[in-house]
Amino acid sequence: MGRALRHEAWPITMSRANIWLWLVAASIYAFLYVPLAIVVMYSFNDSRLNAEWVGFTLHWYKALLNNQEMLTAARNSLVIALCASLSSTILGTMAGLAIHRYRWKFLPVLVFTPVAMPEILLGVSLLLFFLQVLNVTLGMVSIIIAHTTFCIGFVAIIVRARLQAMDDSIFEAARDLGASPWQTFRLVTLPLIVPAVVAGALMSFTLSIDDFIITFFTKGVGEPILPIQIYTMIKVAVTPEVNAISTLLMLLTLTMIIIAARLEARASSNRNNSRQAR
Amino acid sequence: MKPLSLPGKASVLLLLMLALAALSAGCTAKGGNPAGSEKEKDVLYLFNWNNYLAPDSVRRFETACNCRLSQDYYSDNEEMLAKLAAGASGYDIIVPTGNALDTLLRQGALKPLDKSLLPNLRNINPAYLDTAFDPGNNYSVPYAFTLSLIGFNQEKLKELDLPTDTWALIFEPRYLEKIKGRVTVLDSQRELMAAALKYLGYSVNDASEEHWKQAAALIVRAKPYWAAFSNAGYIKELAKGNLWVAHGYSNDMFQAALDAKKTGRPFTVGYTVPKEGAVLALDSMVLHRSGRRPDLAHQFINFMLDGRNSAELTNLTGSGNPNEDAMRFIEPEIAANKAIFPDAELLGRLEMLRDLDRRQRRLLSRLWTEIKLR
Amino acid sequence: MAKMLVGGPPLVFLLVFFAAPSMIMVLSSFRFPGEFGGLAPLAAPEGGTGGDYGLTAEAYQFFFSDVIYVEIFLKSFGIAMATTLICLVMAYPLALLIARSEKRFRNLLVLLVVLPFASNFLIRIYAWMIILGPESGFSHFVNAILGVFGIAPVTLLFSPFAVLVGMVYVHLPFMVLPLYTNLEKHDPSLLDAAQDLGATTWQRFWRVTWPLSLPGIFSGSALVFIPVLGMFAVPDILGGTGDILIGNLIKDQFLGTRDWPFGSALSIMLTLAVLSVAGLSTWVARSAMRHGQ
Repeated sequence: MGRALRHEAWPITMSRANIWLWLVAASIYAFLYVPLAIVVMYSFNDSRLNAEWVGFTLHWYKALLNNQEMLTAARNSLVIALCASLSSTILGTMAGLAIHRYRWKFLPVLVFTPVAMPEILLGVSLLLFFLQVLNVTLGMVSIIIAHTTFCIGFVAIIVRARLQAMDDSIFEAARDLGASPWQTFRLVTLPLIVPAVVAGALMSFTLSIDDFIITFFTKGVGEPILPIQIYTMIKVAVTPEVNAISTLLMLLTLTMIIIAARLEARASSNRNNSRQAR
Repeated sequence: MKPLSLPGKASVLLLLMLALAALSAGCTAKGGNPAGSEKEKDVLYLFNWNNYLAPDSVRRFETACNCRLSQDYYSDNEEMLAKLAAGASGYDIIVPTGNALDTLLRQGALKPLDKSLLPNLRNINPAYLDTAFDPGNNYSVPYAFTLSLIGFNQEKLKELDLPTDTWALIFEPRYLEKIKGRVTVLDSQRELMAAALKYLGYSVNDASEEHWKQAAALIVRAKPYWAAFSNAGYIKELAKGNLWVAHGYSNDMFQAALDAKKTGRPFTVGYTVPKEGAVLALDSMVLHRSGRRPDLAHQFINFMLDGRNSAELTNLTGSGNPNEDAMRFIEPEIAANKAIFPDAELLGRLEMLRDLDRRQRRLLSRLWTEIKLR
Repeated sequence: MAKMLVGGPPLVFLLVFFAAPSMIMVLSSFRFPGEFGGLAPLAAPEGGTGGDYGLTAEAYQFFFSDVIYVEIFLKSFGIAMATTLICLVMAYPLALLIARSEKRFRNLLVLLVVLPFASNFLIRIYAWMIILGPESGFSHFVNAILGVFGIAPVTLLFSPFAVLVGMVYVHLPFMVLPLYTNLEKHDPSLLDAAQDLGATTWQRFWRVTWPLSLPGIFSGSALVFIPVLGMFAVPDILGGTGDILIGNLIKDQFLGTRDWPFGSALSIMLTLAVLSVAGLSTWVARSAMRHGQ
């Protein structure tokens, strides 16, 4: 049921009235990407110290592919980030829902304080807890648990912000129509909060893949993790190998994004097709 | 056919992520096994500074011992100490610097060495043995060392007619005003205080509150002329010519000088130990008490005490080498460099830092906070 | 029943892996630091004499014994405030644009905001060292402009400006994402109705969009403000000699002075300060909204 064309039309087109908005957005994207361009550019730089552009070379990528330690570290970090983001998204969404709907007094404190606490404290306290209370060996699992702990709050905050923007009467209406709580969640709530859930998942992923402090304290012996490799290299000046692996990781993420966007496009065209078919 | 709804899309994305995780986990299940599951041959766990062991050395050792060497890294002694203090275990060998070694010994965290397994120990220059914290070397063996000194842009300083052999260069306003904003100092409580104490004529291990306050006043007076406190960023900036003077470590200066030469800069980076004296940071190999393979550990230590292996690190990074047998394998320009290989006279001016007790540490921390804020 | 299923798992998880470890740290802030690191034992060892064991409020006394620590708190809160405001100003137009662009582009645009953060944090900060360094094109550009006004050239690197740039850069997506998820939910018919009633573009924004986006603004602000306080890497690398924040101080206690009780005490003071600021702003927001109605 479309409305007649309005002055304030959505989606925002490239009209003259909106040119300022586009300019501002474009400059912010530039702000985000210029340092990135430097990182990528310098991964091809023929200079170990990487202070200034010298010449083009693929040497660092070759060195990287031969650097078993770095590759293992990257693999470990990816696995950790995926697992941590999955678990914190699930738990964080549940927490966001619970905080918004059930108004328990203590849950918000428990969920949001990890976000408020300095990472060092979280790292050291978890290390002490793992070693002295639980008496477990540190390893990938300890890192995943640690990352989940501090990511839950981020996801919960985003999901809750989304829920606060919605009209709660929808849920009541669904219940009045006889839907069970699970049905309400699956058919009403979840579709409406999906952007927040996805945003939360993304945020957890990026937080996890780049975390140094908590990872340093909770990692086990003999398992290289990427941010630790890089951070500890700082003392001897970071070589362009790090630029190379950053570039590769970004390419990987970009590929995932493009695949996701393609799926989305296909899904919406499926919907359009089936609508036309009726 | 029901079209793919929004939750459907989200779950597809999730499945994709899971698949990737599973794939990557299965793909390289060979590498990076945790210390528990061992279908692996023997593994030696090393906790070391990053880039402090030449890759060639690693390869040769692994072949010689038919084992695997697994390294974990830290970039500061305190990080390593913090992790061990919390109870982390499983490392066979650690490479702490002098004062950290002091700490570990006092905490009783180390296993004594079996010197019968270390015939190459005779290669070490006696000047680096029998340190104040480990007389008789029952627990530690010297590995490499660095000096804290001043690196500078030679042409610029000659042009400005500034002295390069004294701490006054970074502490005296009459020199500093010519290089304002072009100087950095180390972001380390102990190192900067040590430099100030040396300049005032005290020992680096002088812990009297009175002397510390004098040193702090000296630092605060010079601070407005400094660009920043920097532990590693100064290397690049010095090599690029943005900085003219930097308080730093000898092997970092070596790196900066090398890079300035390679990129064809119109200046050279020089570095000297100030005449008032400086800090010698001696890194040693030690056995942590939680290590499981002391046999492999001793093999490794003996391996690194061999001249050729020891020299590889020096040639790679310009770190000082306490191994006399290594001298013949070291490249001549490096060997001739006094700041990397101090002669007896210079050695006499160098001191090693000792650890402080908790009251002293708290006092220093308070002074350091004031220094940073004022 | 549904309550338990939904709220239960996160509650249990956090109780075990957050509340319990935190209690350990709260306890440790009341202990003595170990003579050479870590924490002193709670009870004197057998036959031990002298030394300090057991519980004490020494760390807190140390905190309150000098005004310098409060100064650092205030300074850090100032920078955090500035970062949050700048992020808000930058993120709002971007989030608005993404929320109102064509449906099929929205996810892509959002993901593009997050993509830079898939690369390593330190490497990007080092890239800023290059951009803000005295040799860079950007520096020359800025100094040329300043030269027009007769102002002497400034160094952009190793300054509070550089720290601010670094902080904003690192935290921008944390502001964009919550704002976007909120703005995306706004009902276009509300704005249509407002237009029918004769509201101008500005009025439509200020009276309709802005109030509805407040929850997103608060979430985004929280997600920026709090991490800025704990961050030490940016001031360490990009900052000048006076740029020390509370994050640096806390890190120094654990990874420099080996004073865990004081580090824990500082962290707890920080957490309390943040929670009270959050609580205060929520209370202010709620009463403002009540009055608005």
